[in-house]
Amino acid sequence: MENVLEINQLTKAFSSKTALDHVSFSIRKGTCFGLLGPNGAGKSTTMKILTGILSADSGTVRMFGMDAAANRLAVQKQVGYVPQEITLYDKLSAIDNLKFFGGLYGITGTLLKTRIEAVLQETGLSDRAKDQIKSFSGGMKRRINIACALLHEPKLLILDEPTVGIDPQSRNHIFDMIRHLRDSGVTVIYSTHYMEEVEALCDEIAIIDQGKVIAQGSLEQLFDRFAQKAVYLETGKNFQPESIGEVKKIYRRGHGWVLETDHPLAVMKTLLDHQESGDELKAIEMVKPSLEDVFLSLTGTSLRD
Amino acid sequence: MKNVMIKEFKLMLKERGNVFFLIILPLLFIVAFGSIFNSAGSTSITIHVHDLDRTAASQAFVKQIDRLKGFTVKKENSPSVASQVKKIKDGSLSSLIVIDKGFETGLQKGGVPIHFYQDGAQSSSAAPIQAILQNMANQYREQKLAQTLSARGLNPAQIKQTLAAPIHIQTITENGKHIDFMSQIVPGYTVMFVFFIMISMLQRFFKERDSGMIARLQGTPLRSAGYLVGMWIPPFVSVLIQCAVLLFFGRLFYGLHLGNPVVVTLIVLCLAFCGTGLGLGLSMIARSQNQGIGITQLITMGGAIVAGLWFPSDMLPSFVQNIGYFTPQYWAMQGFQDVMIRDAGLSAIWLNLLLLLVFGVFGLAIALFRFRPFIHDAAH
Repeated sequence: MENVLEINQLTKAFSSKTALDHVSFSIRKGTCFGLLGPNGAGKSTTMKILTGILSADSGTVRMFGMDAAANRLAVQKQVGYVPQEITLYDKLSAIDNLKFFGGLYGITGTLLKTRIEAVLQETGLSDRAKDQIKSFSGGMKRRINIACALLHEPKLLILDEPTVGIDPQSRNHIFDMIRHLRDSGVTVIYSTHYMEEVEALCDEIAIIDQGKVIAQGSLEQLFDRFAQKAVYLETGKNFQPESIGEVKKIYRRGHGWVLETDHPLAVMKTLLDHQESGDELKAIEMVKPSLEDVFLSLTGTSLRD
Repeated sequence: MKNVMIKEFKLMLKERGNVFFLIILPLLFIVAFGSIFNSAGSTSITIHVHDLDRTAASQAFVKQIDRLKGFTVKKENSPSVASQVKKIKDGSLSSLIVIDKGFETGLQKGGVPIHFYQDGAQSSSAAPIQAILQNMANQYREQKLAQTLSARGLNPAQIKQTLAAPIHIQTITENGKHIDFMSQIVPGYTVMFVFFIMISMLQRFFKERDSGMIARLQGTPLRSAGYLVGMWIPPFVSVLIQCAVLLFFGRLFYGLHLGNPVVVTLIVLCLAFCGTGLGLGLSMIARSQNQGIGITQLITMGGAIVAGLWFPSDMLPSFVQNIGYFTPQYWAMQGFQDVMIRDAGLSAIWLNLLLLLVFGVFGLAIALFRFRPFIHDAAH
């Protein structure tokens, strides 16, 4: 599958602070690519460089086969950017905001009207089209914020933390929108510091920390490479987990134990053998790895720190 | 550019404060000051007189003052002179004429003093009364001279010829056919309030920047020049509307003579260019909204004083007048007054128009020079 975006050795510094340090990754067409990292990791800077808002100090960005810096206008016409801030005109209606953004991409007349109706339908806000933005809830504003970037039917949609501070209903609506867009062939870059969102939405992920990409790949690849496999079990009083071989580390969680191991199936088999020999075993399951575990394993700190 | 312009027009209409500051407030000022100064012609100066003599001569003296146009006598027969002098000392009375007992007798004998008490702190309001008294003293001297000459055998014609002043002052009004208070007030407040557009422009740019909108727009195909022009034209048009409303209000309700409409329109166009050009420049260089608002107030209020928007420029001290020449308000005001009062044409005010354009170009040059750093800051 062809790459929509190829970033190579991108660097950016603000005064003496390095925001991006030789960042490289590529994104395949029609996928949802997650950019995961804590606040201040360099996600927004990366996105602003991709959209032409900021220019990189060094490195290259190729988008749709073009050098993005040299073909800024051509690239911008194919990209939809949703910034982290809700950048709408509060005193104007939703439809006026959409008309404004549509006009910026040269959409006029009947086409503009049709596109506005379509994005309002997609965001579920058709019935609020004529209301002023200031009367909208935070989630509704976020949805219109996204809708403004969809009017020109971009091939690449860049979303910078689009769900910050919104209700679960709006979040689910936004997720459905993103899935629908991806299924219709739009490539999506989704920046967030919520690992659950990346796990729920993204096909591929780059984890960024302190301006560097520290890991990238599909969820499965990241779990395989960086998450510690483990088995969870609950036992009777007489059970001694220390007696299980091939376990690297054991610690308590809730009413049971977590047994970290590189061979979970073998450990589970040993545990079941123990039960047959009389040990009491109440529950046993494979521990599902999370991106939080991956991040912890890579940086030694929690993503939420 | 067109989209930015349409959006700005819509936002302007939604912002009620704009209508208040650009139209309603100047109208209130024009109405308030128009009422004050229009009725100023019917007011008179009150002269407080304490007549202790109460004779036919002293009463004739008081009546003579009372007959003077623009002056009204208020007789102060009680309380005592001392208590009224105390009022002057307290500042609650600006002046008092006291006719002492023995005024009539003194006149017959050849000389009598009239005491004129005045508050030194309000000498300007007492000055006209002092001039009246001096004039009346001269009249009494002429009467005395006439009596003396008559006693020496001169006939009335000879006496008149002898007492005739060697200088005759004839006042001839050559210019300013349409001068009245409104020809100062209406253009004055119109020019002053035009420059308040700078605050609106400043607030719009800061709002766009602080909300992240400018950063977002940089990620769209909108070009910088298109954005700048789109943000500039709506305030320019709103100033044109503002000037039209204020000048037509003056015409409709106060009968203000507007002069040549084409020339007035040219002044309004140049004034709008100047005010919004400076507004654009200020929006790009102000470090904060408060700083920008402070600078705008300095320009609008300071300019209004030194440029003669509140009082005719020639009433100001010469050094203040000299400062006024460096303000756009002065050239706009003089242009308006030349057209409205003296029916001046384009040939008489071309320099005013040119200077207004120069001020506007200066503002635009700053805006162009500073726009790139401004949007660069907005992107972070």
